[in-house]
Amino acid sequence: MDLPPTIPTSFVPRSTFTSARRKFRSDFTDVFGLFAYAVLGIVFALALGIFFYGRILAGAQASKDAALAKAEKAIDPATVRGFVQLRDRLTAGQRMLGNHIALSNFFKLVETLLPANVRLSTLHLTLDTTKKVRLEGSGVAKSFNALAAVSNAFAADGRIKEAIFSNIVVNRDSSVSFTLSATLDSKIVAFSP
Amino acid sequence: MNSRILPTLALLVSVGIFFAYVQPTWSGPLAVTKASIASDDRALAAANTYTMQQNQLAVARNAIDPRDLTRLARFLPGSVDNVGLILDLNALAARSGLTLSNIDVITNAAAPAKSAAAGAALSSAASPIGSAELSLSAVGTYAALQTFLVGVEKSERLLDVQDLLVRGSDTGVYSYRMKVSFYWLR
Repeated sequence: MDLPPTIPTSFVPRSTFTSARRKFRSDFTDVFGLFAYAVLGIVFALALGIFFYGRILAGAQASKDAALAKAEKAIDPATVRGFVQLRDRLTAGQRMLGNHIALSNFFKLVETLLPANVRLSTLHLTLDTTKKVRLEGSGVAKSFNALAAVSNAFAADGRIKEAIFSNIVVNRDSSVSFTLSATLDSKIVAFSP
Repeated sequence: MNSRILPTLALLVSVGIFFAYVQPTWSGPLAVTKASIASDDRALAAANTYTMQQNQLAVARNAIDPRDLTRLARFLPGSVDNVGLILDLNALAARSGLTLSNIDVITNAAAPAKSAAAGAALSSAASPIGSAELSLSAVGTYAALQTFLVGVEKSERLLDVQDLLVRGSDTGVYSYRMKVSFYWLR
């Protein structure tokens, strides 16, 4: 037998449950609304902040660009070129003076080492890429003893190195022709002011 | 129902503003401007350093005697000026008693290997120093040669005798052939 709809089917009061659900819904709506408006406010504030920050940065960049242009204008290329040239002159000049060659020192040395009875007829001094001076020459000595004296003098002095006397020919008048090859100590040809 | 639509709309607008303006502006134009400012700062710092160094260098240069600076410019001139050099060598030879019979310039295409001896890496492409050789032939006495050689060695313009050939004679007048390196600032 069916119950009439006016008779409740449960003993739990119906009205209490419905009001709790309504209260929960209302609270949730309030919190969600609050959250949404707060987010909107924060994002809006951020957008405003970024807008003004951009303006400030643009102003700062403009002033720095102007300062930089002024600093660039103050740089005189001719002055810079002058300094660079002076630096190059000083550094290269110092290095080149250190390597400057003075062959006249060699002639002074030869004058002291060669006796009067030995004569050079040709003399060739060459500076090679390693800054060594090579000597090639030919000459005539009055006697074999005179040539030996020169050889001894070169050996004793030590500044004319690796002196090799070759093509030695004794002439009819007992004079001795020879060719000479040697290297010079770099100290002999080093320039000193 | 209305009480939920407006907050939802507010959230959507927030998301829209954030992704349409805030985020692109921050990572786009603002980042570029900040990088540009940082670059300007570095350039300004470099400009300040340059100004300080320029002042220091100007003080150092002013401390050098102007006559020494002039001598330095003659020692290593800013141009080749081989014609002026030939005139000077001719005058030196005349003063020394040597007669120059032939003077020629050997351009650097053939000279670098030899001139490098005097100036180490001078002839390299990066070097600010240029060099060439003069070939001279002369006749004169031994004393004249010595005077000429000393003059060349002590010349105000740097000259290095790279090669010297002496041929003797019974008359006391010898013939000479020499190659002289000369230098200039490029």
